[in-house]
Amino acid sequence: MRSTLARAGLLMPLTLFLVFFLVIPFLNIVILSFYTYSPTSIWIPKLTIENYRQLVEGSFITVLLRTLWLGLICTVICVVFGYPLAYFLARAEPRVKSVGLFLLLMPLMVSAVIRTFGWLVILGRNGLVNNMFHAIGFDRVGLLYHEPAVIVGLTNVFIPFMVLPLMASIERISPSTEEAARNLGASWFDVFRRVIIPLSSPGLISGCLLVYSAAISAFIVPALMGGARVQVLGRLIYDLLLISYQWPLASAITTLLVVATGVLISVALAVTRHSAKQEVSR
Amino acid sequence: MIGPLSFSVGAGEFVSLLGPSGCGKTTTLRCIAGFETPSDGGIYLDGDRIDARPPNRRNVGLVFQNYALFPHLTVFENVAFGLRLRRCREDELKQRVQAALDLVGLPQLAERFPKQLSGGQQQRVAIARSVVLEPRLLLFDEPLSNLDLKLRVMMRAELRRLQQRLGKTAIYVTHDQGEALALSDRIVIMSNGKIEQVGTPLEIYERPATPFVADFIGSSNLFNGEIVANSATSTSVRTETGLVLQALPTPGEIGSRVTVMVRPENIEVASENSTNVENLISGDVEEKTFLGQDLHLKLRLSEKQALSIVLAGRTARTHNAGDRLTFSVARSHVYVIKG
Amino acid sequence: MKRDQPKLLKPFVILTYVLLLAPLVVIVAVSLSASPNYEFPPSSLSLRWYEAFFSNREFVRSFFQVSLVLGLGAAIISAVLGTLAAIGIVRLQFKGREALEAFFLAPLFIPEILFGAALYLIYARLGLRPSMLTLLCGHIVICTPFVIRNVTAGLVGLDARLEEAAMSLGAGRAQAFVKVALPLIQSSILSAFIFAFIISFSDINLALFISGPNSTTLPVYIFNLLLFEGDPSVAAASTIQIVIVGLLIWTVQRIFKARVG
Repeated sequence: MRSTLARAGLLMPLTLFLVFFLVIPFLNIVILSFYTYSPTSIWIPKLTIENYRQLVEGSFITVLLRTLWLGLICTVICVVFGYPLAYFLARAEPRVKSVGLFLLLMPLMVSAVIRTFGWLVILGRNGLVNNMFHAIGFDRVGLLYHEPAVIVGLTNVFIPFMVLPLMASIERISPSTEEAARNLGASWFDVFRRVIIPLSSPGLISGCLLVYSAAISAFIVPALMGGARVQVLGRLIYDLLLISYQWPLASAITTLLVVATGVLISVALAVTRHSAKQEVSR
Repeated sequence: MIGPLSFSVGAGEFVSLLGPSGCGKTTTLRCIAGFETPSDGGIYLDGDRIDARPPNRRNVGLVFQNYALFPHLTVFENVAFGLRLRRCREDELKQRVQAALDLVGLPQLAERFPKQLSGGQQQRVAIARSVVLEPRLLLFDEPLSNLDLKLRVMMRAELRRLQQRLGKTAIYVTHDQGEALALSDRIVIMSNGKIEQVGTPLEIYERPATPFVADFIGSSNLFNGEIVANSATSTSVRTETGLVLQALPTPGEIGSRVTVMVRPENIEVASENSTNVENLISGDVEEKTFLGQDLHLKLRLSEKQALSIVLAGRTARTHNAGDRLTFSVARSHVYVIKG
Repeated sequence: MKRDQPKLLKPFVILTYVLLLAPLVVIVAVSLSASPNYEFPPSSLSLRWYEAFFSNREFVRSFFQVSLVLGLGAAIISAVLGTLAAIGIVRLQFKGREALEAFFLAPLFIPEILFGAALYLIYARLGLRPSMLTLLCGHIVICTPFVIRNVTAGLVGLDARLEEAAMSLGAGRAQAFVKVALPLIQSSILSAFIFAFIISFSDINLALFISGPNSTTLPVYIFNLLLFEGDPSVAAASTIQIVIVGLLIWTVQRIFKARVG
């Protein structure tokens, strides 16, 4: 009796809140994705799979493939820059580490708009990079509004998602394991390849999945740095919803992305949990 | 801050670095292995200066305190790790790994993973992993401290046999004086980043160079005092509490400050019929601890001075707390330490 | 003494940090420049863009009357909801506890833009006009997981014997919790509160979809200006946000250090 009361008091408020503001909105989206589009009344409640059929058509496939491709490139770059940083932070002395974490968390917590704005200033026609080119005698070039600009922006915004799980994973590797490898003749490259990467693979996997799932649903960076050319799923949803009012189609895309990220994230969590269990049994 | 310090190790010799924790012994070892670089000075191996070389170019084998086996590799792959880096041919590799595992007595565990092994077995794999590369030098960083006492004593003897069979020079870091005394040809005693004494186990035990060494190795009675007489046959020292002790002749000015060491096991009961009684010391038995083989007594000499004595356990019945007793110490067992 | 480390590690890490922080540094510099041309490095310094920011009523409104108010509201409500839920999850034994925890943390893993789209559509379908309140509800959903994580960690680290001791001295269960455990997890709750504030304060993805004319948050306002190239007062506004977020994270780090030390 008492515990029922406690349960009601402690857990019910949030559960109800989430049912109203999380579960119902997403159920609504799933339902809408099966409704029929109407140019006059936006949707009519007639069930159809037309919206999903449209997803396999040429124009959408192009956007989908571009989004997945950009996500992949962004993930790879995050690994390249994230591994050394994660290693450095994992092995740094406490004071250096807390400064390093601050400098990593700060950009993460500042709105993506502001970070993207910074890149606009750096890469713009009259920006920092072009000014340097100009100063050494080159012509000004359009660095923005191409895929590379979007990749720079995405990588920059999402790299903390890679570094944090990687760092946690590397912290669990005993430094003497690395020293043993060094002692046995391993170059640092060998140490990374044969010791650190295999032993931090859970962190690597969850970092990659987090970055990838964030990158394929990014909106701000492509919208501000991609110009008209770089259309991606996130922008497509925004445009379909707020500009062309094709809600059923937008719902279908959203449903697809929710399912995709759901799968990616559960894999990441399963990997983390599995390795945590192994840790215990070790 | 460690150093300045300097010592050398002969080929095939087993040398221990011994000292309390934080004395710099592990840092010294890590400098030799290359994980730290000394800010000044050099490290030479067979005449080559190695201190600027990265750890992977030194070929010195290091056995870690926590074994540091690669948890994701089998025992076989752990031992093969260094050989693979050296691009060793597969058939030779197999044969060498097997030989190394035979050497440490684990021929049948090659396919296990480290977490499936006991501490002692992991230690053997760690040794095999180093030895298989035929290092120029073997380093041990408190390798036995994670084992239980029985296993530790067993592994200690085995380590020594192994080192002698391989004929490798070895440097062994430990804070356990028993290990250092039992294993080493020579011991380097360190404290606060400095070397206190370098010598054979016997020298260090019997003729400690500093009061620190006398106190650190074994148990000892230490008295501060000054030399009051010096002759061809003996040196006399008066302690701060007024006790006068005769020692073997030791060079030193009259009046110079010294420390006198008497090992508890070198103190004997003074018997009336004994002819050669030197350094008679009387006091009240304050504490008596019977430990089977040994009997430990604490003798109160004066308000400020007590003496630890170890006697054979079978004499336990004859002495009781509160008894007033007289003991003697041969002058050859009174050792004068300068400074 | 020098430690054995990969030689290129430090330069590479420094390069990474430079790239990571460059956008923020540039914005701060531009906001202090006297030139209207997004000049970097600035040739002369001035505070005129801050003046411009504070004299723009729309801007000030979105900052003080929308973003700050929303952030505080979202932080308070999600701190309460999240703390209650965390206590329930750690202290109550029931079937499906892990599933419920996963459900509570789910918003953490759903890309915000998808959640924004979902809220936009449900509000539209129910005929709700975008307002501060509709945005607040969205922010509470994305803030609570942070509260739950923080407070759960604090509660798990607590020594259960402390409360048992209080109960052996005659306190009731609830009383023991309030008097003993609650003060000890104060710092967890406080840092959770700060994090929740930051999340709401920096959010753009939800706000883009569900903020209306009267609830334009600072990030949305900045976003709109960027689409139409405004003057560097955007940089001034951004700098103010950077400073606030930086100070808050620094505070959280201090709280944690005080707890560990």
